[in-house]
Amino acid sequence: MAGSDGSNGSKEKSNDFANELPSYNAENMQSNMKVIYYSRTFMSIIGGVIAGILGFTGLMGFVFYFLVMAITSAGIAAKAGFSVHLYFDSWNLIILDGFLGGLMSFVLFWTFAYDIVHIF
Amino acid sequence: MAEDLVLDTAIRDWVLIPLSVVMVLIGVLRHFVSKLMRTSSQLPDPKIVKEGQVIIRARNLRAAANFIPLKSFRARKVYYSNEENGLLFVPKGQAQNAQAQMFSDPNMAMDMMKKNLSMIIPQTLTFAWVNFFFSGFVAAKIPFPLTQRFRSMLQNGIDLSTVDVSYVSSRSWYFLNLFGLRGLFSLILGEENATDDTQRMMQMGGFGFDPSKSLSAEKDGLDILQHEWALPKFEQRAETVLRKLVS
Repeated sequence: MAGSDGSNGSKEKSNDFANELPSYNAENMQSNMKVIYYSRTFMSIIGGVIAGILGFTGLMGFVFYFLVMAITSAGIAAKAGFSVHLYFDSWNLIILDGFLGGLMSFVLFWTFAYDIVHIF
Repeated sequence: MAEDLVLDTAIRDWVLIPLSVVMVLIGVLRHFVSKLMRTSSQLPDPKIVKEGQVIIRARNLRAAANFIPLKSFRARKVYYSNEENGLLFVPKGQAQNAQAQMFSDPNMAMDMMKKNLSMIIPQTLTFAWVNFFFSGFVAAKIPFPLTQRFRSMLQNGIDLSTVDVSYVSSRSWYFLNLFGLRGLFSLILGEENATDDTQRMMQMGGFGFDPSKSLSAEKDGLDILQHEWALPKFEQRAETVLRKLVS
């Protein structure tokens, strides 16, 4: 995974009342968000190139994009050791954040690779 | 598809790939040029820096208010927001508005103009370059079907209504690059690249130019804050933990 380095040390662990008392370090939160954003962008570019080389067209490509994003989410969750609340506010952040942001890059690189390999 | 166009491979070698590479390289160049221009600016005004620090401190207090006892919280709140000499209190009339400040400081306007120019000039130049060399033919084909509505967007510069919409003219390929490469730039140039400058400028608009407004906003935030101590039983908890350790 791109850039999900060791900058994940996010929340002070407070065992039995972590639920009633959320305490976050804003800078670490931001760093975690940035890591998510980077990995998503990276994955969407790589996914676009792969989709183009494999020659997906039409709906197939978008399905592939969703697949790639799902894999990315799973990867981030795995990187966080599936104890997501240690690093992020909620699951939504991992699953949905930056979902549409990578679409434009994906389409561009998909088109680029597809044209180079298949059209000419 | 009834009419599949056959595109010359020379178009790929001399239009599609060079255009994309040039777009990436120009983005990188713009990043470094704007970086060079930025470092030549002078030091920020100490007063503005001080106000920003006060705001950050008040924000920290607001975020961590529940971790300190009520008495301590009240003392800090008064320190920040009392009506006579609190740090967040801005006397009326002293608050200069943004316009006046901008006119009094020509450097600021100059800075903004420089930033804008470093945005606009490369874009116009690339656009002119693309227009001059590559206008009027199909350069690429997007791999998914689109409706007729997208014709004006994707086939800019070609006036044929019979060509399938998914073929992209070279001018429109330029635009696709312009928008789609943002993600790549944020990867290769790091977070603070020139393409993000527009967004940052919008955010800075309220903050950097009119600190008194954000000071009073922070003061209001402190005033309406309900204090609720989050650690009412922490002494007992500490006692039990320590007892467990000792025994």
